Amino acid sequence: MGFKLYDSMSRVMCVSAAAGVLSSSVEQKIYVELNETVPCVRLLNATHQIGCQSSISGDTGVLHVLETESDLDWILSSGPHPPYMVIMETAFFNRSVMMRMKNSSRVAGVAVIVSKTGLADNFSPHTTCPNQNTGVYSASYGSDLANCNVTMWNPLGNGLSYEDFAFPVFALKDENQTQVIRKCYQDHNLRVNGSAPQYPLCAMQLFSHMHAATDTVTCMRRTDLQNRFSINPEVLCDPLSDFNVWTSTRPLNNSAKGHAANESVVIAATRLDGRSFFWEQAPSAEGTVSGIVTLLATIQALSPVTQEAPPPRNIFFSFFQGEAFDYIGSSKMVYDMERNDFVIDLNNVHSMLEIGQVGLRRGRSLWMHSDPVSRQNKSVDTESAAAGLNLTVDQPSVSQPLPPSSFQRFLRVRGIPGLVLADHNTSFNNRYYESLYDDAENLNVTYPPDLSPDEQLVYETDAAKSLAEVATLVARSLYIQAGGEKKNLNNITADPKIWFLHQHVSDCVRLLWFLGSGPPQFYIGLGPRIHGPVHSVTRFVQYILANLTGTVTNLTESQCQNPSEVNTENKDLFSYFWVSGPASVNNTGEPFCRSASVRLSKAVSPAFELLEYGSPNYSIIPQSRWKSIRARIFPMLTLGVGVAVLLLSLLVTYFISSKAELLFSSARETPATTY
Amino acid sequence: MNLERMPNEEKLSLCRRYYLGGFAFLPFLWLVNVLWFFKEAFLKPAYTEQPQIKSYIKKSAMGLILWVAVLTTWITIFQHFRARWGEVGDYLSFTIPLGTA
Repeated sequence: MGFKLYDSMSRVMCVSAAAGVLSSSVEQKIYVELNETVPCVRLLNATHQIGCQSSISGDTGVLHVLETESDLDWILSSGPHPPYMVIMETAFFNRSVMMRMKNSSRVAGVAVIVSKTGLADNFSPHTTCPNQNTGVYSASYGSDLANCNVTMWNPLGNGLSYEDFAFPVFALKDENQTQVIRKCYQDHNLRVNGSAPQYPLCAMQLFSHMHAATDTVTCMRRTDLQNRFSINPEVLCDPLSDFNVWTSTRPLNNSAKGHAANESVVIAATRLDGRSFFWEQAPSAEGTVSGIVTLLATIQALSPVTQEAPPPRNIFFSFFQGEAFDYIGSSKMVYDMERNDFVIDLNNVHSMLEIGQVGLRRGRSLWMHSDPVSRQNKSVDTESAAAGLNLTVDQPSVSQPLPPSSFQRFLRVRGIPGLVLADHNTSFNNRYYESLYDDAENLNVTYPPDLSPDEQLVYETDAAKSLAEVATLVARSLYIQAGGEKKNLNNITADPKIWFLHQHVSDCVRLLWFLGSGPPQFYIGLGPRIHGPVHSVTRFVQYILANLTGTVTNLTESQCQNPSEVNTENKDLFSYFWVSGPASVNNTGEPFCRSASVRLSKAVSPAFELLEYGSPNYSIIPQSRWKSIRARIFPMLTLGVGVAVLLLSLLVTYFISSKAELLFSSARETPATTY
Repeated sequence: MNLERMPNEEKLSLCRRYYLGGFAFLPFLWLVNVLWFFKEAFLKPAYTEQPQIKSYIKKSAMGLILWVAVLTTWITIFQHFRARWGEVGDYLSFTIPLGTA
């Protein structure tokens, strides 16, 4: 009996082992993997953890779509199948609903549908006073101006990005996948006439288990302990890091660090990054792209004039990465300048002009913000620069502090004269600051409906023309500030076609490795170890600058990679890029070597180099690590059904084994009378 | 090893060895001692070596209870307060759970 049972069990196991080979298709029959989802991840700072966390084996809940207030009540109090996995319509993604979810124990996770339908008039998950602790205003400098006492820069901010959620929050970006989820919900989970739906129900499981916890000091200490004592070290978090991009009108010797002799430099700066509630999503059109495009247009406008009639001072252009996270890039550059570890130092800096958010001008006005504490008269002359342009440059009230800007980090160390240009007087005009919805539509970039994508590339939108005006103003002001002669000012104009930079595809972009299917995302990321050599947007800006300011050389590929071997080239002053040419009618797209004075400089917070993980002076925001992030939906059955299936299968196995001889006998007994 | 077939002197020496071995921070030896020799010490009819075996079992049991009390107290305290101890808690831990305090 025992042997027969073993025999039949082994046959059953054989069959199931064969089925195991096909088990991936069984898994596919049960689970539907959701691929186009974006998680919210955990970040840390000196004292808190922010972001979202899931359980180590994922959080599962019964699906419920949150469309009305009664749905909210169902989820939070009256529904009979907690915990629920909430599919949140766009209109409900606000602070009050999310905080109610956070405080409830019946919510297993949230998946937010990202769409424009039902989007509120404003949504900014950032804080109301961005970077308030790492700017220049503190108890010892302009204390009545600190903490946004005078001006609340982002009054529409709801601070969601800085809350700590104990359940996973994902964003559903693909409309087709959202339809699949809705269909599953409508087929199984809908309430019929107020009564609860019956099993089987549609359920969703979200995996986004984060390794880091508590705060930066703890996380770095644990990573350190793991690296020293564990056989299989786990890294818990990584500092946010990437590169700043800089260039100058006269090349600077990259190998000579510290004070540069006889160099007086005007810095023109803008930021290169953004963020949102979700990981790696930061379209940041008004927040960041307006500044980048304006500065690129400025550089393009200035390059012919600075070659023909160079001004006495050098103009240093810089794109700072990581400014959303307590000024990572600018604090690193200032730190390097202080320690004589950069091509120039603070004694070389004459003045600074920063381009803030400039895309949403109201009427003709552009605002020049300066620091009331260290203000010097007439720091930058913009009147002659603005002559003949369709904008007016105004100054905000004298007691208003600087908006959040990289210039504040320079002021912390030295009282340099400088200005921040912005389209807002008091609070931001940007109603979607640092959110998923700060995209081209927020900047009113619209095309006539009958244009092809190639025609769209060269079409001059109103936004492009507006930014070109700002760029012209900035270029002329910089030229004057650098001591150039005013008679050359009329030759400096920016080209509105620079707007191609914000498009998906362009000839220039085809040179680069970066080509996503959607608009570029400006989140800083984790730098070389994780993202490949350099973040795509940083590389993007670097190559565009090389294209705008560099010169074509006739070096071969190996010479391009080792220019020190060639006498005429100087790798201290220039960097060399091997790029493919544009594909057009006259040109076959042959690769060539371009030399330009564009460089990258590391943008990681000095606190991580100094190993001061609790430092209040620098950014100490690392991003947690994780093992896997995924989402899937499946039909959920009760435990009772599972147990019933188990008992049934045991019964069947017993039955088969007891009748084994009858069922499995082959014609083994050869009749003796065969011969 | 079958205690039935052993002469009584060997049983006594085995019990003593386990008892003495437990002092080397090996409370499981005491546990094994108590469980193995319990029948011998208390449930069998009397023989010459039995009183000594009984005393060894009693002392092993006391040692065992002391160890259990100390370990339970320490483990409860550690599990409850490790997160609150911050740095000290991390240095005391062999494996630190990911993603929680």
